[in-house]
Amino acid sequence: MGPLIPQEIIGADWNLFIAFVIGIGFGFVLEQAGFSSSRKLAGMFYGYDTVVLKVFFTGAITAMLGLLFFSLFGWIDLNLIYVNPTFLGSAIVGGIIMGAGFIVGGFCPGTSFSAAAIGKIDGMVFIGGLFIGVFFFAEGYPLIEDFYMSGSMGPIKVSEVLGISGGVVTLLIIIAALIMFKLGELAEKRWPRAEY
Amino acid sequence: MNLRNIIFIALVLLGVVIAMVPENTTKPYKLTAEQMLIEVQGAAEMVIADDVAHWLISKDPSLQLIDVRTPDEYQKFHLEGSLNIPLSTILSSENRDYVDQGLKMNVLYSNGTIGSHQAWMILRQLGFENNYVLQGGLNYWFDTIMNPQAPSVTSADEEFAKYDFRKAASGVFGGGNAVTITAPTANEAEKPRVIRKTKKKAPAGGC
Repeated sequence: MGPLIPQEIIGADWNLFIAFVIGIGFGFVLEQAGFSSSRKLAGMFYGYDTVVLKVFFTGAITAMLGLLFFSLFGWIDLNLIYVNPTFLGSAIVGGIIMGAGFIVGGFCPGTSFSAAAIGKIDGMVFIGGLFIGVFFFAEGYPLIEDFYMSGSMGPIKVSEVLGISGGVVTLLIIIAALIMFKLGELAEKRWPRAEY
Repeated sequence: MNLRNIIFIALVLLGVVIAMVPENTTKPYKLTAEQMLIEVQGAAEMVIADDVAHWLISKDPSLQLIDVRTPDEYQKFHLEGSLNIPLSTILSSENRDYVDQGLKMNVLYSNGTIGSHQAWMILRQLGFENNYVLQGGLNYWFDTIMNPQAPSVTSADEEFAKYDFRKAASGVFGGGNAVTITAPTANEAEKPRVIRKTKKKAPAGGC
C-alpha cells in the first residue's frame, strides 16, 4: 500500500501541503517541549539537560519499529522509501561543524525557527547566521566540491554494511538508546545547573 | 512499576520481535517504467529456439519451459517437460514458486511471442528474475526446429551446421510431419519442486 505518494495513492501535488502541515506540527512540538530555549540544546553538551537526546532517539526508534512492522504487515514497501546517499568524508566533517554550531548557537535549524516564531531575538540572529552560512557555502562551493562529493557510498544502510537484518540493527539501537537515556539521567544528576 | 519503565520494556520487546521475524520480502511492482523500457530495449529476455532445443536435448536440468497458453492448447501440443501456467493464472499464489525463484531458467512460450511477453512483462515488473521468452514462440519453433529448410548451396558453413543441428533436433522432437500429439493427461509434466531462493533485503532504518 504505502508509501502513499510514490504509489500515487495520494497525488504528488499534495506533497508540499502535507510537508507544510507536518512542519507546523513539528515546530509546535519543538516549542511545546521547550526546545525554543537555547539552553536546552547546549545542556545536551554540558550534561545538565539530556531531553534532546531522549526526544530524537525516541523519535528514531519509534519510526524504525513502525516502518519494520508496517513492512511486516505489508502496509509499506521499504524499497520505495528514499534513502539519503552517504558521503562519508563530508558527512563526518559536516557533523562536527553542525554539532559545534549546536553548542555555540544553542539551536538546530528547526528549533531556531521555533524560537524566532515566539519572538526570541537569539533565534532570529541564529537564522541570520544560517543564511550567511548558506551564502558562503554556495559561493565557495567550487573550492570544496571535491571534498563535498568524497566518500560516496550511495544510498546505503547500516544493516547492509554490517550484513545483518534491519530488525537486529533496530534492536541494537533500541538497547543503545535506553543505555544512553540512563547515562543522560546520571549526567543530569552529576552536572546540575542551579540557575537553569 | 512506573509508566516509563513499562514503555521501555515494551520498546525492547518490540525490538526483539522485529529482530526475530524474517523480513517481509513480498513486493508490489518493483521496476519503474524507465527501467522496464531499458530492459525491453535490451531484449536480454529473449532466448533463441536453437539454444532451447540444445538444452532440451542435453536435458539441461536448469531449463524450465513454461507454456502460458490455455490448458486446451497445452493439451493439444506442448514442448517436452513444459509446465502449463496460463496467462490468466500467472499471478496466482500456487504458481508463485515457479515464476519467482533463483535456481532455474524459466523460458516462457506461447504460439507467437505476444502471450509470453505479456507474462514476462508482468513477472519482470514484480522484480522476478530468471524468466525469459522463447524467441518467435511455437510458430518459429515449428518453422526452424521441427521443419528446418535446407540452406542454399552458397550459404556459409555455419548455416549448414545450424541446419544439421536442426535436422537432428527435429528427429529427437519427432519433427517433420510426424508431430506427436501428446495424450491429454498421461504425458502432462509433473510440476517440479522448486526451492525458492531467500533473498536478503534490508529495510530502512536510522534517524
